[in-house]
Amino acid sequence: MTEVDDPLTVHDHVVRCTYACIARFGMSKTTVEDVVKETGLSRATIYRYFPGGREELLHEAVAWQVAVFLSRLADHVAPAESLAEMLDKGLEFARQAVVHHELLQRLLQTEPERLVGLLSTESAKTAPFIAAFLVPRLEIERKAGRVGPDVDLAGAAAHLSRLILSYIGAKSVVDLDDAEQRRDLVERELLGWLHP
Amino acid sequence: MATSPPLRILDAMCDCVALVGVSKTSLDDVASGAGCSRATLYRYFSNKQELLSALIAREAEALSGALADATAESGSLNEACAAIIVEGAEFLLDHAALSAVLAIEPAAVLRIVTLGGADEFIRAAAALVAPNLAAHMETQQDALRLADLLVRITLSHLQNPDPQFPITDPPTVARLVEQYITPGFVREPAAWRTDS
Repeated sequence: MTEVDDPLTVHDHVVRCTYACIARFGMSKTTVEDVVKETGLSRATIYRYFPGGREELLHEAVAWQVAVFLSRLADHVAPAESLAEMLDKGLEFARQAVVHHELLQRLLQTEPERLVGLLSTESAKTAPFIAAFLVPRLEIERKAGRVGPDVDLAGAAAHLSRLILSYIGAKSVVDLDDAEQRRDLVERELLGWLHP
Repeated sequence: MATSPPLRILDAMCDCVALVGVSKTSLDDVASGAGCSRATLYRYFSNKQELLSALIAREAEALSGALADATAESGSLNEACAAIIVEGAEFLLDHAALSAVLAIEPAAVLRIVTLGGADEFIRAAAALVAPNLAAHMETQQDALRLADLLVRITLSHLQNPDPQFPITDPPTVARLVEQYITPGFVREPAAWRTDS
């Protein structure tokens, strides 16, 4: 394969190939050599784009999957008419995505220690992204008189983003895979503070 | 006072872990720290994992006691919730052995509190917190749900602290509880489904 010139294309190509290697060999067994073979690029090119080598490649592959997940999540919830509906749809989608992500579930079984470190770094970066996504929705709720004038919207969004990540990551006493229970959780745990 | 051999052994285990983490703690060190022979130690705990589980169970018991003390004087649901968050966060932050493990072998803790292990961890923590809310709640299920919510908020802030929002600062936490957490549990859920 010939070297590609566009830096973004090269970067993406390498990250996707790293992901393919992880799927095949697992995280701890994936080496820079594997990525070199998979990409068809030279070792020097890989290191030019990813000076951190193996660790950086693994990290970028996880970050890429998280970004893909977030962008699908954003698309899925965009048509929601209210904040409550958005959170309901989002939680449903996210839980299913986590449960059905074959590689994620496999790595959680086979090498959780490597994975959770990277995931928790990513999740810390994800919270502000989700919060920024929620602010315009909170503004709409405020116009509808459901958010008091004294509420700091950025603070409310930050609080909600923490809870959303938590409920995506771990089951609750409320069954999030049950539509009725999930809506009840959105109404009470997440949005119980909105004015009716 | 820890006088019986198993208690002295658990104390010694706790001290060793606080010093070098779990993986580098040897049962010889624990035995000598407890002032007993290796044979005596093995009479009570057959291996390190068993000793660690017993230590975690004892510390959970201590946390449970601390929460009960912290909420004993709480006159309202809001006060109880705030006391649980502040006391729980302080207990975990001040825990020397836990801090050492987080510094030396963070993945060991992360795999318990993030994806994969988190379901079980949050369920256990919520069950530990819930009795302290019972006096202020109508049903046990509601107490459990609210406890689950408090655990998530506390964990989220411990994992990703926000300097603007110190989770051990009582006035900050009191505002959080009043504004976002308890409203969903003290009045009828908002009827958002009929809005759209």
